[in-house]
Amino acid sequence: MAVMKFLCDTKRCIECNGCVTACKNENDSALEWGIQRRRVVTINDGEPGEASISVACMHCTDAPCQAVCPADCFYRTEDGIVLHNKDTCIGCGYCLYACPFGAPQFPQKTAFGSRGKMDKCTFCAGGPEETHSDAERQKYGSNRIAEGKLPMCAELCATKALLAGDAGIVSSIYRDRIAARGNPGAIWGYTPQTGA
Amino acid sequence: MNFKSLGRLFSVLVFPLVLTSVLVTGLGMSATVSAADGQTSQQMANAKTSDADLWRAVKAGDSGFTTAQGVEANVLINVVGNQGTIIKNEYLTPAMAVAVLGVFAAFLVFYFVNGPSKLSNGFSGKMVLRWSKADLILHWMMAISCLGLILTGLIIMLGKHFLQPYVSDGIWAAVILVGKTIHDWVGPIFMAAWVLCVVKWMPMQTFKMYDLKWFLVVGGYINFGPFKGKHPDSGFANAGEKMWFWTLTIFGLFICVSGIMLVLPGLELPREASMAALLIHASSAIIIIAFTIVHIWMATVLSEGGIDCMKSGYCDENWAVQHHNLWYDEIKENGTLEYKD
Repeated sequence: MAVMKFLCDTKRCIECNGCVTACKNENDSALEWGIQRRRVVTINDGEPGEASISVACMHCTDAPCQAVCPADCFYRTEDGIVLHNKDTCIGCGYCLYACPFGAPQFPQKTAFGSRGKMDKCTFCAGGPEETHSDAERQKYGSNRIAEGKLPMCAELCATKALLAGDAGIVSSIYRDRIAARGNPGAIWGYTPQTGA
Repeated sequence: MNFKSLGRLFSVLVFPLVLTSVLVTGLGMSATVSAADGQTSQQMANAKTSDADLWRAVKAGDSGFTTAQGVEANVLINVVGNQGTIIKNEYLTPAMAVAVLGVFAAFLVFYFVNGPSKLSNGFSGKMVLRWSKADLILHWMMAISCLGLILTGLIIMLGKHFLQPYVSDGIWAAVILVGKTIHDWVGPIFMAAWVLCVVKWMPMQTFKMYDLKWFLVVGGYINFGPFKGKHPDSGFANAGEKMWFWTLTIFGLFICVSGIMLVLPGLELPREASMAALLIHASSAIIIIAFTIVHIWMATVLSEGGIDCMKSGYCDENWAVQHHNLWYDEIKENGTLEYKD
């Protein structure tokens, strides 16, 4: 049992959008036109204090999308990954309103301009269909977790800014980095008070 | 109005109205919400140099630059939708369940304790024209579309609590998808019927002084105590019907506009507007559904002879005299009274 999390190290992210491309390529079979599961946002672009963050579904422990969904199509895997069943999804869009991170995506080009089935980051863990089946590939994209691999976005991050994996391991890697850098305040909102 | 915090908006609107007794708690909550969301000007200035304050700015909804396309793609965090979710799940969903079961049960109890409102002189057998064919068609167009929306809407709002646990995944998926699709397509029919009904019937629905007296004796429907046998004055529409009309007019407007906002993704509304529309849609539905249940109870079982009006367009003469005396007197006087052949 793990609790899978993403963490983006803002001191390392260089806004190359490699994670976005890696995600689109890896999950291409499931992504309809206009859908982009991951995006990079740069705060204070071109100014002192510039910081870039790669963001997708954060796989919340208490996920608002799951709470608001009238079809109750969301579920959490034993790895703490929030997935959804596209066969149950009715395309109402409530998850998009509820999600603080703008993770849920909807196909833009459906009949009469209505919403299609919701699509979002699966942590490269596929969906409720049989693992590595055609149906899973067509609806949800890759299932790297079942192969013992981490999400493609994090694996392909050139600067290793985007970390994915068990929360404990991710945070210990990050803690080591902070210690090595010795730069207080590098963690958002946290300034270590120990040391010289 | 600061639209950034639905929680604050909700406490401003609802707490004073409903929970005056816990007003102190309400104010306490709004204060906490403000403290969590707001940034001081110093913190905003620091956001360029202090990581802590930058993070605080991001949490408060600051936007940046992104190559991603889409509404608000440049915003990292927007908690308003989640506040709306909490309001919906903690207040509106239970309120809807209470509105449906509670109002129905209350009327059932009232019916068994009080009994129906009988015609004091029985049926005369002479039928008086009350509604034209156009009125009947409009009424049933609105009634059928409204009932369709209520049933499918209840599946959408309460189905995951009352139905999903008891059926298989496949059945649930089919029910909710069909429900949502019907809800989307019947909506426009209801809107058309709503507009026509409001425009056509509004002239008969203005409040008059005698309507106040109608309320004082609860419309004469109570069969015991000091209210027994009272038949208050009433024109073509009685005060209760007028209240129903104006409720459906006002909340029908809310529900139509918010429904359009929810059903058309091409509008590309920001999350604040979409979530507000969702909450307004649900709140209006609660009120309309509660009133609809009352309306159906009144027409079918409580008021003897009442259902005839909407079946044939004609009502019994004694029913007209007892329930709409001023209207009856008026049409009798000016000669527009028309009997059924």
